[in-house]
Amino acid sequence: MIPLSEDPFYLIEKWLKAKEFLVIGKSIQRIDAFEKVTGKAKFMEDYVLPNMVYVKLVLSSEPHARIKAIDVGRALKIRGVVGVLTAKDIPGENQVGYALPDQPLLAEGKVRYAGEPIALVAAEEPEIAFEASLAIKIDYEPLPPLLDPLEAMKRTDVLVHDERGSNIAFTTRVRKGDVTEGFRVADVIVKNEYRTQHQEHAYLETEGALAIPEIGGRITIISCAQYPHLAQAITARVLGIPASRIRIVQPYIGGGFGGKDDMGPLVAAKAALAAYKIGRPALLIYSREESMKSHCKREASIIRYKSGATKEGKLTAIEVEIIMDTGAYANRGPFILWRATMHASGPYEVPNAKVDGYCVYTNKVYQGSFRGFGNPDVQFAAEAQMDELANKLGMDPVEFRLKNILRPGSLTITSQLLDHSVGIAEALEIVAQRASWKEKRALYSKMKGRFRRGIGVACAWHGISTSRGVPDWSNAFIKIEKDGSIHVFTGIVEIGQGSPTTSHVQIVSEVLGVPVNYINMYFGTSDAPDTGATHASRGTSIGAIGVLVAAAKLRERLNKLAAELLECRPEEVIVRNGKAFVKGREEKYIMWKDLIKEAYARGIEMSATGFFFLPKGTFDHEKGQGFAYPAYSYIVNIAEVEVDIETGIVRVLRMWPALASGRIINPLAVEGQIEGAIAQGMGLALMEKVEFDERGVVINANFTDYVVPTIMDMPKVEKPVYVEDLFKYGPFGAKGVGEMALIPTPAAIANAVTHAIGIRVTELPLTPEKVYFLIRKRKMKG
Amino acid sequence: MIVSFKLNGELVEVDVPPNMTLLDVLRRKLGILSVKRGCERGECGACTVLINGDPVCSCLVLAPQAEGKEIITLEYLSKNGEIHPIQEAFIEAGAIQCGFCTPGFILTAYALLKRNPNPTIDEIKKALEGNLCRCTGYIKIIEAIQLAAKKLQRYSR
Repeated sequence: MIPLSEDPFYLIEKWLKAKEFLVIGKSIQRIDAFEKVTGKAKFMEDYVLPNMVYVKLVLSSEPHARIKAIDVGRALKIRGVVGVLTAKDIPGENQVGYALPDQPLLAEGKVRYAGEPIALVAAEEPEIAFEASLAIKIDYEPLPPLLDPLEAMKRTDVLVHDERGSNIAFTTRVRKGDVTEGFRVADVIVKNEYRTQHQEHAYLETEGALAIPEIGGRITIISCAQYPHLAQAITARVLGIPASRIRIVQPYIGGGFGGKDDMGPLVAAKAALAAYKIGRPALLIYSREESMKSHCKREASIIRYKSGATKEGKLTAIEVEIIMDTGAYANRGPFILWRATMHASGPYEVPNAKVDGYCVYTNKVYQGSFRGFGNPDVQFAAEAQMDELANKLGMDPVEFRLKNILRPGSLTITSQLLDHSVGIAEALEIVAQRASWKEKRALYSKMKGRFRRGIGVACAWHGISTSRGVPDWSNAFIKIEKDGSIHVFTGIVEIGQGSPTTSHVQIVSEVLGVPVNYINMYFGTSDAPDTGATHASRGTSIGAIGVLVAAAKLRERLNKLAAELLECRPEEVIVRNGKAFVKGREEKYIMWKDLIKEAYARGIEMSATGFFFLPKGTFDHEKGQGFAYPAYSYIVNIAEVEVDIETGIVRVLRMWPALASGRIINPLAVEGQIEGAIAQGMGLALMEKVEFDERGVVINANFTDYVVPTIMDMPKVEKPVYVEDLFKYGPFGAKGVGEMALIPTPAAIANAVTHAIGIRVTELPLTPEKVYFLIRKRKMKG
Repeated sequence: MIVSFKLNGELVEVDVPPNMTLLDVLRRKLGILSVKRGCERGECGACTVLINGDPVCSCLVLAPQAEGKEIITLEYLSKNGEIHPIQEAFIEAGAIQCGFCTPGFILTAYALLKRNPNPTIDEIKKALEGNLCRCTGYIKIIEAIQLAAKKLQRYSR
């Protein structure tokens, strides 16, 4: 039996109930801010070693071909070339697929997309490595490339993966109630096909890793991953050595957005392979072109959506088909598809649902994790459907949504009972009022002239943690040094979001009652206990539970000790600003440093881990019914746009976000997440698209041809509405924020554009060209 | 070839291949690591330096073109642990996330505020349109520059 003072459930609940806070809910400054404004913050490329070799990738020029031969002879003769590595040099397994075992680290026998890594060249200088990479000759036997997922689904004569027998990599399904009956009782039915496109992460820092051979046959990797323990595991598998010989250290990461969750381990393993074989530190940095051609992208999806509602405005049924182009490898595609499937209803109650998902191989760069993880596409479709249903019913879109929105006690699309933490209805009501929704909707409906305005709303939900019963946990290690300073070890990575540099610091500071400058964060490292990945908006939610639990255990021990010293009960001990005192009697105190000294003197352990294993339910895969996620975060975005109907140019003027994602630990950091996610979502909505030529080669692998939003494009983003619908296992009730504001942004903008031009948009991005032709089509129809 | 220029107020001389970019000269030869490699095509602004006061992408400048010029990098703005009001403003406004684009933004803002101590929002946007940020959505960066302008006016009074 674990004593209560060490029981994570007890400790989480105890701190969840706290009413007054020292630093939680305050906009404390990031602890990395000073380093970052002075240019001293170290990123991967800033680690420079005297004896290192520079590694360069050799990428496939062919979308689909057998590799007949690789001639490295000429490259090896170039002065300064240290080595060339191909699949046959891999000592362990050449297998790095996350969801399915279909992906090699370096192509073997066959290439499946243009841009696939085939070889690594190591040289004394980057210029030499580059020259040598051009000297490597690969003899290809071309195969017909499959580029269209709808075609690939049907074909079996051409297979992206011969051994799999089909180009359908993975399928998902939901079967709830009876959709035939649901549509029979519907008074209105809407049916549409929606399309979304590949989006590039465009993190300012490209992928890279520096692998350093160490004593004892160990390898340290300065890596840019979002999950150090996964980078460790993948590297160990590729090298065929125990994971404990690989140490992952992560400096500041120049943006991740999910891309480095998938790429980080693969790049670390490549650098490690070079270091392992050559015996010298090896630095691999992707050029921007290599990055854009070879790293995973947001999925392109085709969504066929039918939904019905009664004239009273209640949803009766949805029938959805989701086809995702996963490209050459499944990578995390099956998980992305799974998430899209289980969120296909939007945050609404629907009694009957049938959803089928297909993850389809093509000969294009593979699909991967990207902020929102399949959810922005499906919410785009679901929210367009909601507007179209409201339109047919003659109802206001907000009013119609409120009739169907999830509330405490609702059953989700997977028939999961939402017993707590469902604040979206309130968020929608408040934000609609703030945005003067009704007035603007009426006003803009009557607009004439060249510049037409529109206002659109979109809601979204996002399950937190891993799905179904897939294990998820948190952990951290905290030790209080003899001088009272505190050392926190977490695997959560600093990718810009600020989890380890703000919210984790705040949680430790709150729980231990010490100023933030007592706390030293050691983050993103395999030296910390496995904390899970920095993805799925979990850094400050699930990822921070470990920090809370470890700190709370230490606090329990210190309360007991302080109570003895101050002659009071443990629950009467207050610790604030580095001073422990008796509640209501501040003159009876002991300074933090003295308290710690006393703990050491009495043999009280001043280190703790914060392991917490998240309780989950069961899931029926046949029906797609059951426990999908431990809780959901919710968001509403309202977008106001102006469309130039002569040119088709869309400008987003204003956005109103409203968030129901539990406790807001640092409002300034949360605003930063919301604003950044809106920018990225606006890019997806209006301008960003990876373009392929007729062979499947990415043709816009630079920032001139692939356009991301600049400062000129940004709308005014209003202060967010927060509904703090606490999550019972979250640290202080936090659910997770990082991805949220991106998810409904394309949908809100698309609905606003539809409102402005009076014609449904169903395909992203809403480039001027696309919008212009839509408007023309309507004019021609009269 | 030998190239000499003023770097953050001090004369430097480096022996470099003539086709080396200023970005590589600064990073690889002179250990100036605040200058970030983002795209190497002049598209992202992460490698921005000031050349004779103007913000320039150092990845588009070849070493010989730096001859005799005055080059300023982010290292110039803070002395002995004291940071510049623009840097303070970036911290206070929450304009920093991953930090990779931050040096370029601060230097571009520094050049802007030297030229125009009281810029409008549109002037701020125009000055910074060549710097990409993928984290912040730019909003807090605009607020930081407005705050910095106020701070600088306060100091100069």
